[in-house]
Amino acid sequence: MKQLTALLWAEIQKEHRHSFHSKMVYFSLLIWPAIMFVTAYYSFAPFRTGADSPLARFLSAEQLPLFLLTGYLGYIFFWCLVQSAWQMSFERQAGTMEMIFISPVNRLAFLYGRSLSSLVEGVWLFFCFTLLALLFVGGMHPSGWWAIPLAFFVLLVSAIVWGGFLSVLFLFSRDASFLYTVLDEPMLIFSGVRLPPLAFPLWAKAISFCFPLTYALQLVRGLLMEGAPLSALAPELALLASVLLLLVLVTVVLLKKAEKHMKETGNMVMY
Amino acid sequence: MFRVAKATFVRNTLVMLRAYPWSFVIGHILAGVYTVLFAYFAYHYVFAGQLDSRFQHLAGTADYLSYAILGGAFYAFAVSTLMNVSRSLITELREGTLEAVLLTPSLRRGYFLGNVAQQVMRTVFEFSIIVLIGALFGLNLVHTHLWSAIAVWILSTGAFFCQALVLGSLMLRFRDTYITQNTLFVIMAFVSGVTFPTPYLPEWLQPLGAIMPLSPALDAFRQCVIQGKPLVAVAPQLLHMAVLSLAYLVIGMWGMRRMEKRVVESIFA
Repeated sequence: MKQLTALLWAEIQKEHRHSFHSKMVYFSLLIWPAIMFVTAYYSFAPFRTGADSPLARFLSAEQLPLFLLTGYLGYIFFWCLVQSAWQMSFERQAGTMEMIFISPVNRLAFLYGRSLSSLVEGVWLFFCFTLLALLFVGGMHPSGWWAIPLAFFVLLVSAIVWGGFLSVLFLFSRDASFLYTVLDEPMLIFSGVRLPPLAFPLWAKAISFCFPLTYALQLVRGLLMEGAPLSALAPELALLASVLLLLVLVTVVLLKKAEKHMKETGNMVMY
Repeated sequence: MFRVAKATFVRNTLVMLRAYPWSFVIGHILAGVYTVLFAYFAYHYVFAGQLDSRFQHLAGTADYLSYAILGGAFYAFAVSTLMNVSRSLITELREGTLEAVLLTPSLRRGYFLGNVAQQVMRTVFEFSIIVLIGALFGLNLVHTHLWSAIAVWILSTGAFFCQALVLGSLMLRFRDTYITQNTLFVIMAFVSGVTFPTPYLPEWLQPLGAIMPLSPALDAFRQCVIQGKPLVAVAPQLLHMAVLSLAYLVIGMWGMRRMEKRVVESIFA
């Protein structure tokens, strides 16, 4: 346990030094997500959004800003980890990945430590922005005082598990930027960040259920917007938990395969 | 100059085919396709085809899908042109070939011309695929005034090239591509009327859209494709684009020259 904490702390320090060496990091922390959120809000301007509009089948027009805010907050949590996993390829180019895998360090601790540190570093600013915006936007119906920390916890855990899974995926590929494109934007469309997945046709719903963000957002919105009691959310919570468990299992299996593959082919370093 | 351009063209094509197999090309195509998908889902499934009463007046058409799909395709085209040209020098710097490029007596104009020509080949390919997929999802091309649309497309390439020179000098100044380019791209997507007409924005934000060549270019292109207007009818937008291009060209040339000097002094001195 002591070793794990030491490792976690080392990873956090490394990630911090890696990303906070210049003030430009605040662009990706706050300015991009904020502009993306406002753009998404205005993308609905061409549509009719009254009380009797078709949108009201899924959510009321007053709830739209809140819907988008929660959506983008969840997306930024997950996006941070797609970005961090993508930056794993830099470890490969720099040759530090080989050093990490030669050391007797726990591989899973390395993966999840990396996810946790980049997540906390990556979301704190937008998280504060969202909390402030939530106060101004209004229309919140939290299930109780505990709903906000629980929503945060749900996002945190599911994002970390997703981040660990992605990092392993990126271990298999040398051209990581391609995976980044394939995984990042579909999540934005299909997970219900900007549009309610209930409105989707069946094939799109099937895709949306591949992303844990879909389940996490359902829960977060239930907790913060609909004021649903915990008992009503229990089935969704159980569903999310089983999806995450499955992802952890797949991560463990793939990690072993990736390490074996890299040892056989000798491509732990980029070229 | 043309020999330099040709040599750059051939080299860049080889690099694209061999070293970075298609990742940027596929990335740009997918980004356009996702915009198409979002427009399609929102229009059909969430809003059941019901538009705001002001949309037709502000956009000049009631065809939302064509409006948004062309926006997505043209935005992908702008991003692609800006990225390919502006990243050229900093990529040379990263790959270690900048010294060789700067030492040769080749004209920088020829080098950039070759870069542009090579990336035009790429963007034509990317743009056609996005438009083709867009047509499957409801993009209406029946009224297109083909020649004026092509002319607007070519003029826009020129305008984006001029903007890319400014972006490229900023990249060299900050030694960064990721933050610089993506900050510009998210702002462009917000203020240039890609998925919604700019008059929906607050008034104080609208001048920001007016300094992006993408706004007049997209406006002119939509008029030629959706409403079938001839080139003369979009003269005000073309003039707007020409003024912006000239301004960006002057700043960009000055910036590039300054940054080249700075890079040479800081790296090779």
